[in-house]
Amino acid sequence: MLDPQAAARGAHTKRMRPLLGTFVEVATAGVDTRATNAVNQAFEAIREIHELASFQQPDSELSHLNANHGQWIQLSKHTLRLLRLARQMTEASEHLFNCTLGGMIIEHGVLPDHGGDFLPIGCADDIELAPGRARLVRPVRITLDGIAKGYAVDCAIKVLKCAGSSWGWVNAGGDLRVFGDFALPVAQRRADGSTRPLGALQNASLATSSAGGGLNPDTPGLILAGEDQPESSTPKAGNAQTFSVISRFAWRADALTKVAALAPKSQRAERIAHLGGVLIEE
Amino acid sequence: MKYEALLGALLPMTVLVAPAYATDYLSVAQAQSQFFPDASQFVDSTLNFDSDQRRQIKKNAGTRQRGETQQVWRAERDGENLGWMFVDNVIGKHEFITYALAVSPSGEVLGIEVLSYRETHGGEVREAGWRSQFEGKSLEDTLRLGKDVTNISGATLSCRNITDGVRRLLTMWDLYLKHA
Repeated sequence: MLDPQAAARGAHTKRMRPLLGTFVEVATAGVDTRATNAVNQAFEAIREIHELASFQQPDSELSHLNANHGQWIQLSKHTLRLLRLARQMTEASEHLFNCTLGGMIIEHGVLPDHGGDFLPIGCADDIELAPGRARLVRPVRITLDGIAKGYAVDCAIKVLKCAGSSWGWVNAGGDLRVFGDFALPVAQRRADGSTRPLGALQNASLATSSAGGGLNPDTPGLILAGEDQPESSTPKAGNAQTFSVISRFAWRADALTKVAALAPKSQRAERIAHLGGVLIEE
Repeated sequence: MKYEALLGALLPMTVLVAPAYATDYLSVAQAQSQFFPDASQFVDSTLNFDSDQRRQIKKNAGTRQRGETQQVWRAERDGENLGWMFVDNVIGKHEFITYALAVSPSGEVLGIEVLSYRETHGGEVREAGWRSQFEGKSLEDTLRLGKDVTNISGATLSCRNITDGVRRLLTMWDLYLKHA
């Protein structure tokens, strides 16, 4: 039996490129030049976010902010918006999601150290925001890794819509958003590599993270998963859990998978719902 | 969006079959014309390596050259060299990827496109069952259907292997194509 969704969906343009440290797929209705241009523009939007918010690149806006605590730094609208969202989510999740733990991840050897002294972890109040600029109160290292991929997906979707696309989707290594009059069948890939079908996603976002066992009192807020996991601390595959969250926006779904991974099991679904998402239990 | 609407966003689909793992994005010819729309021909310039050359590539690039040949085409218009397009494979944790790298005559990266993406780890048993539903169809039909069936959300896969692959291909350009 043929998939009726595929038949109803009609022709589309779909591309995949390596971006954001992962594989990004962009798809949109139509196979004409307009569709191809829309896809190219969507990739361009993602590349822009990547360059602004990359922790790894020493010349990104984020790295500039991280290197100059105490000073007000002029930032682009995307970086400021990312910081605002990350700060809000850090606060709202009672620091289960925490964008100030870059220092701790440096200490684990997963993120690069661009020099200078730093605190392993801070709090939401370490980020001060003003129109057009931001300041770090203490020498924390902000990492937007838990939110930037989703945010880039949101930006790419906006570009597709502005280009006149009637439907489409963007999947940045598991941070997925679908828009328009069309439902995309989706599956969840679990920590052991197996997959399970979840259903069809329409006008919503889905994000998935795997983590090795919840909150560690020694390193609160730290999630190391997949290929970022140092050999020394790799959890046994059997211990790793996979968390998927649905939300309206991809940035929120992205961030909430971290909350899901770190929240006590008994509070997980309730916390996610409170923060604007729906948890899909494993 | 209302909370109820959000819950409704994930509809159970009774027709859903187990996920497919292969997606084809572009053919070699499509990638060629996308990177070099002005080219009038693409000259097969496949590179063949002996063991010394493979050692040299590894030394310069830092990653091993597995194959003895490397697919590459020179894009030309009226005899003028417009650049090069490599087609290469990389193997990741769960994925097997064929991608194209376009390079200008002066060695700048013009673009990277994934041509084909296959997930290889996990779900093999399911996939066997899934394939059996389409007995009688050609492999091509199955794959074409497969690529339209499912999108996967999972813990992020690293594209580091492509980054390494691109470095290896640029090393080849530097050693063997720069003055070609």
